Amino acid sequence: MVGIGFRRDFAAELLNGDQIRPDFIEFAPENWMNIGGYWKKQLHKAVEKYPVLCHGLSLSIGSPEPLDLDFLRYVKSFLNEYRVQLYSEHLSYSKCDNAHMYDLLPIPFRKDAVAHIAERIMQVQDFLQRPLVMEIVSYYTPVAAEMSEVDFIREIVKASGCQLLLDVNNIYVNAFNHGYNAREFISQLPLDKVAYIHMAGHEQVAPDLIIDTHGQPIIDPVFELFEWTVQRLHPVPVLLERDYNIPQMGELNGELQRLKNICQQHWHKHYETVG
Amino acid sequence: MKLSADTYRIQQDFSRFIRTGRQVPVPGVKPAAMAHYRRLVYNVVCDALETGYPIAFANLPRKKWERMVYKFFSTHACTAYQVWKLPLDFYTCAVENSWDEQYDIPYLYDLLSFEWAEMELYNMEDQAPPAYVPGGDWLSDPIAFNQEYRLLHFKYPVHREVGRRRLLNQVGAYFVLVYRMPDSGDIHFTELSPWLAFVTEQLLAGITLTDILAYAPQLNMVVNNKLQEDTIAFLQHLREKQMVMGFIKQ
Ligand SMILES: [Fe+2]
Repeated sequence: MVGIGFRRDFAAELLNGDQIRPDFIEFAPENWMNIGGYWKKQLHKAVEKYPVLCHGLSLSIGSPEPLDLDFLRYVKSFLNEYRVQLYSEHLSYSKCDNAHMYDLLPIPFRKDAVAHIAERIMQVQDFLQRPLVMEIVSYYTPVAAEMSEVDFIREIVKASGCQLLLDVNNIYVNAFNHGYNAREFISQLPLDKVAYIHMAGHEQVAPDLIIDTHGQPIIDPVFELFEWTVQRLHPVPVLLERDYNIPQMGELNGELQRLKNICQQHWHKHYETVG
Repeated sequence: MKLSADTYRIQQDFSRFIRTGRQVPVPGVKPAAMAHYRRLVYNVVCDALETGYPIAFANLPRKKWERMVYKFFSTHACTAYQVWKLPLDFYTCAVENSWDEQYDIPYLYDLLSFEWAEMELYNMEDQAPPAYVPGGDWLSDPIAFNQEYRLLHFKYPVHREVGRRRLLNQVGAYFVLVYRMPDSGDIHFTELSPWLAFVTEQLLAGITLTDILAYAPQLNMVVNNKLQEDTIAFLQHLREKQMVMGFIKQ
């Protein structure tokens, strides 16, 4: 299954399905819950046409302050109402001192943060009655780290039992920004816990810094890293993220097709036995 | 809590930098990369406010706007977990801090509430109208309204003027009905006279037009055929605009 993020900018094309035809769509509950009017009608059409996965933005699992249970109640009823098959979020924080900041901020890689986050993941999983799939985010600077990033992630997964969203572009971006080997990093992850893959484009803004913009096509080295990764995983859904600089649908569909081809090439045995 | 006081404080320092843009030393952090976080976050905030308040953004003096946005994000703890609701946080912050006086923009709250109503109505959850029938009597039946509306009261005509001088010269009492078209989801608005605003408010509360007309002399209104006809014509107009849906039969 290769899907695409459902964006208002090309919702009409997705609903029409002539020029672009993903296997599923993904959207953020925050962008769609408790809305009505024109966009609610479009949402209903989309949900009728495509299977839906959700990718949250505002949970802020790494926040120091308590979880927002009112928010979680809305998320829960939204996920149930739209029969969402998978709910993922980010290993980051976007809220501190009860102020939302609308971006994914890097958590200090520390033991106490591991314990704090693992406890919160379990709390959310209990509340939602479903597993959380946590994305390894791109980040531009470490913050007061006392352990390696990969150990930080492994320990959270171990302590919380959560699953992982492996954004291959994020790993590429992080490897570049922080000078490590992307393949080595991926090899050290608990790959049996990967339940979902993201793919996206990025932008290099300085000789030593790439920003994860979701505004460009996926570059070849990220496709290569994806192909290498796919061979080490069981089949999972793969998502193309494109949030800005939306190109012609033919171009996006081309990227979807390229991802599909890679998946089919390496996962065909699974597809044959499963389907 | 399992988080240590030290990690907590580091996260607070980092966040404070994100919100104010003022560098704070945080261990192990690359300042150049930190500046990108600030830039990315602040772009989201500016974009959300410029989209939510296009008239204010285009017409208020740019320096004042920028100072307000900066003040807002650095001092106000944003409660909106949905970006489209961020403009409401801004409006709240403006009122709490008396920005109309502080920035000398007497019509600021009127303008923000007008633009926020449009944004809120466009996005808000569908509200079912009361059960109604298409035919009825304008005078004796309660009227069923589309529930997706805001009835606003302004001191300045922000719904038809943008220039400061023209706004300040026209202090008065203005009533504007903003509503969402059920089919298209588009937002329309219409200016009401004080009388029609009163009628609309009373009809929305379930009072019949006959009873409203009986009360009219207490508002110094001269009740005659013309007033009655004009009022019904207004309701018929609202019906064409799908703001009036029909009649409630008891
Ligand atoms: Fe992602």
